[in-house]
Amino acid sequence: MALEFKKTTVIASDLLGVEDAEILLEWLIKHPRGRINLSACTHLHAANLQVLMAAKPKVSAWPRDGVLADWLRAALTP
Amino acid sequence: MKRILVIDDAATVRLYHRSILESAGFEVTEAVNGLEALERVAEAPFDLYLVDVNMPKLDGYGFLRELRGKNQLPQAPAIMVSTEAAANDQAQAFLSGANLYQVKPVRPERLLSHVQTLLGMTPTDVGRPS
Amino acid sequence: MNPLLDQFLTEGRDVLQSIGERLLQLEDSPNDAALMDELFRLVHTLKGNSGLFDLPEMTRVLHAAEDLMDAARDGRVPFDRALADRLLEAMDFVATLIDEIAEAPDDTPPSTARHAGDAVRLGEALRSLLQDDSPPLDADGTQEIPQDAPPALYRTDAGPDLSALPEQTRQDLRQRLDAGESLCWLGYEPEEECFFKGEDPFHQMLQLGAPLWHRLEAREDWPALAELDAYRCVLRFEAIVSASPERLAEHFRYVPDQVDILPLSALMQTDTPQASATAIGPEAAWSFDRVLAAQREILALSDTPPWLDGRLRAVAASLSAAFISVDRAIEVETLEPALASALAARSPAPLLAWLDARQPPTEIGEAADIDAGAPTDSSGAKAPEAEAVRFGRRAEDHLTNPRTLKVDQAKIDRLMNLIGEMVVAKNALPYLAGRAEDVFGVRELAREIKTQYAVINRIAEEMQDAIMQVRMMPVSFVFQRFPRLVRDIAHKLGKEVRLVMEGESTEADKNIIEALADPLVHIVRNSLDHGLEMPEERRAAGKPSEGRLNISARQESDRVLIEIADDGRGIDPNRIRRKAYERGLIDETALERLSDQEAINLVFAAGFSTAEQVTDLSGRGVGMDVVRNAIARVNGAIDLRSQLGQGTSLRLSLPLSMAVTNVMIIESAKQRFGVPMDSVAETVRVARHDIRTIKHRRTTVLRGRLVPLLSLNELLALNAEQIPNDDDEFAVLVVRVDQEYLGIIVDDCRETIDIILKPLAGFLGGLNGYAGSALLGDGSVLLVFNPRELL
Repeated sequence: MALEFKKTTVIASDLLGVEDAEILLEWLIKHPRGRINLSACTHLHAANLQVLMAAKPKVSAWPRDGVLADWLRAALTP
Repeated sequence: MKRILVIDDAATVRLYHRSILESAGFEVTEAVNGLEALERVAEAPFDLYLVDVNMPKLDGYGFLRELRGKNQLPQAPAIMVSTEAAANDQAQAFLSGANLYQVKPVRPERLLSHVQTLLGMTPTDVGRPS
Repeated sequence: MNPLLDQFLTEGRDVLQSIGERLLQLEDSPNDAALMDELFRLVHTLKGNSGLFDLPEMTRVLHAAEDLMDAARDGRVPFDRALADRLLEAMDFVATLIDEIAEAPDDTPPSTARHAGDAVRLGEALRSLLQDDSPPLDADGTQEIPQDAPPALYRTDAGPDLSALPEQTRQDLRQRLDAGESLCWLGYEPEEECFFKGEDPFHQMLQLGAPLWHRLEAREDWPALAELDAYRCVLRFEAIVSASPERLAEHFRYVPDQVDILPLSALMQTDTPQASATAIGPEAAWSFDRVLAAQREILALSDTPPWLDGRLRAVAASLSAAFISVDRAIEVETLEPALASALAARSPAPLLAWLDARQPPTEIGEAADIDAGAPTDSSGAKAPEAEAVRFGRRAEDHLTNPRTLKVDQAKIDRLMNLIGEMVVAKNALPYLAGRAEDVFGVRELAREIKTQYAVINRIAEEMQDAIMQVRMMPVSFVFQRFPRLVRDIAHKLGKEVRLVMEGESTEADKNIIEALADPLVHIVRNSLDHGLEMPEERRAAGKPSEGRLNISARQESDRVLIEIADDGRGIDPNRIRRKAYERGLIDETALERLSDQEAINLVFAAGFSTAEQVTDLSGRGVGMDVVRNAIARVNGAIDLRSQLGQGTSLRLSLPLSMAVTNVMIIESAKQRFGVPMDSVAETVRVARHDIRTIKHRRTTVLRGRLVPLLSLNELLALNAEQIPNDDDEFAVLVVRVDQEYLGIIVDDCRETIDIILKPLAGFLGGLNGYAGSALLGDGSVLLVFNPRELL
């Protein structure tokens, strides 16, 4: 399971596929102050990226992969 | 001084274009639709035309076709400015006689850059009173 | 208040009022097409105006209203009470926003973000009336678009705004470009349905590796989360990457219509802050490209409407202006005849040919389409054939490769000579200014001349820089022969050698690279011959039987460093000492005094050869002194390090380019010569009676130091006496060679000038004592001598 939901945080690991975007979106709609932990995430499909860009949740940890983290930081931090 | 005719039925858009162009030292004349633009052209032709698409009485396409059909006139470049980014609109603009197609709102620097290019102004000319 | 905002509010209220009136009139006569048309236009105008400001909520609602009105006008949606109600509701909302903006104290419209929820609701309400989801038909159906009209080359005019880059990034990019890296700006707007085709645009971008700069945006404002369609892609990626346009086109070959690729070199070449007055800035370069692309597209139209003549003339006017705007006015001369024949033939072909000859089409992605075979995965990819047809391009477009230009060497040399002349000619201006002031007494004019000189000087320097860039070539030009050379020699000597080369793409001026060829071959031969041992000797010394030869090149600030290192036996300083002593190169005291490093450097002394036996490879008599002189001739330096039993490394440091040399003009035997200023310590006048002869050598005392004097005429074997001035003083050029001062007697020392030094070519190249020649402003050739070699 690429997405693991805690009380206020969703932990993304490995690869977030295209179908994960809908699940992620639903959770973020229900948890407007929810956070996301991306430290174990190796890639996320662009659909997930759109969800994160639109929802702008707090990111509690960025991916370890430098290039991926760079792109996400630029897109998700104001 | 280079003379530019700004044709748009929206006063706000005309002012927007006018203030950008005047700040760069161009002489700007306004027309609210294609028919009025043709009248201005009949008085004296311009160095460049900035043409809106959708206007009452005579739209931008119609104006360009009329303008390009006047063989006795010098044919200055025309930039068509539209709110639509559709490829079809661009093709239609080119068929009618526009030389460049831009989507509103055009960034001031970009508009000036395009205008200067279409007026044959080198970077050394830019900023000097034209 | 900001006049534009003021105008917007005034016009907005007028338009809102008109919309209200028209809506009521339409309820009475719902079939009045003119009325409907006007209503559409009013909404359209208001939407266009709101787009000039950062008012996403207003724009959103008006956009929906415009789409609805468009549908109503075309009869796709009936105009009824419900529609009028929704529109009125939407216009009330817009009026509220306008009032709010009018009350704000600032010059810029305040944020209306707190109405975002209302805007979404109203937008949805308007759109819910649009039962038919198909996109609106072409609103202006006055003309049919021919089948073969090419589609837009670019969807929007969203080019790179390089001025927005952080200064540090710009510097980094510039350095990389200067170092010859191929950089591209890439804009990628994946189509909305791309997720359904199995594409992942983000993955596609990440595969490019770490970009030098990147930006990720949404093409439209994000709606409230509940409204978000995660599977409609509205992303826009931008990046600057280190890759060739061809590689990027290949990478995005399945979505060529969704990417814009632009080589950065064109945009940044002249974009230095200091050069801003004359340089073609990134915006101007972008405009030039776009204007040309648009004219190309117009010229590709095949219809022949009554206004064709005007269209062709307008295209010619646009092309003419565009070329003039980038200082290529001279090319426009041939445009007039091309236009004349186009008008005569009522065909755009002559103009298109003219344009192709100036600026070959740079459509990216097509070459890749041709090369890439039919993709096996049909789900995510379009067939290349279909793509080609869709683009409707002429076949010859595919054949041109516009990014590299093959230019005859002689043409570049001519340009370099002309720039050299320019550099020299401009030197006359300060003298002219001086004369204007001193002789004619017009200070004002003198100052103006100096100001003009500063401008011309800067342009001349940039021209030099530009031509130097053109002349750069990679060291691989020399390196490429080494694998074969090393293999052959090693084979011949019965040695096992592994050659490792690095940095072959490092670039330097053509002259430098060419001057490097022979010395490098010599050094490599020396290493193989004397440095690396026979396999059995190596094994006995505990080394692998295969010897290593490393040749590497890299750029360090404005110099190219080339290192040739072997892991051979190294140089024995004691053996060098002994041999130098035997050959009379050093005396007994020096034998004791010399450090190991100094002893090793003796191999550069003339006539020194350490080979146990003369082989047919290194030959006799040609030693390291020749190598050093060849390197010195192009202002290079050589450094030799060696560790006995572990290997030898030679480091060559060379200038990147044959930049301008500042020389002093001197006269001797009625001829002019140049001496590089960096070797001139000072020029003095020495009275005849101050010259003494010690041990058959003329000397004089300068600031308490004994300086040997030599006559230039004697050194150059010119049969003439040196001529003193009226006070019987000789002009003496004091030069420094290897920490020693030497005086060279000449007839007269003149001004210093900037020249572009060219090495002597042909059989003159073998002439010792000369650094090269330069062309002067009056067309004469100045020989520049090299004091080090002369003495």
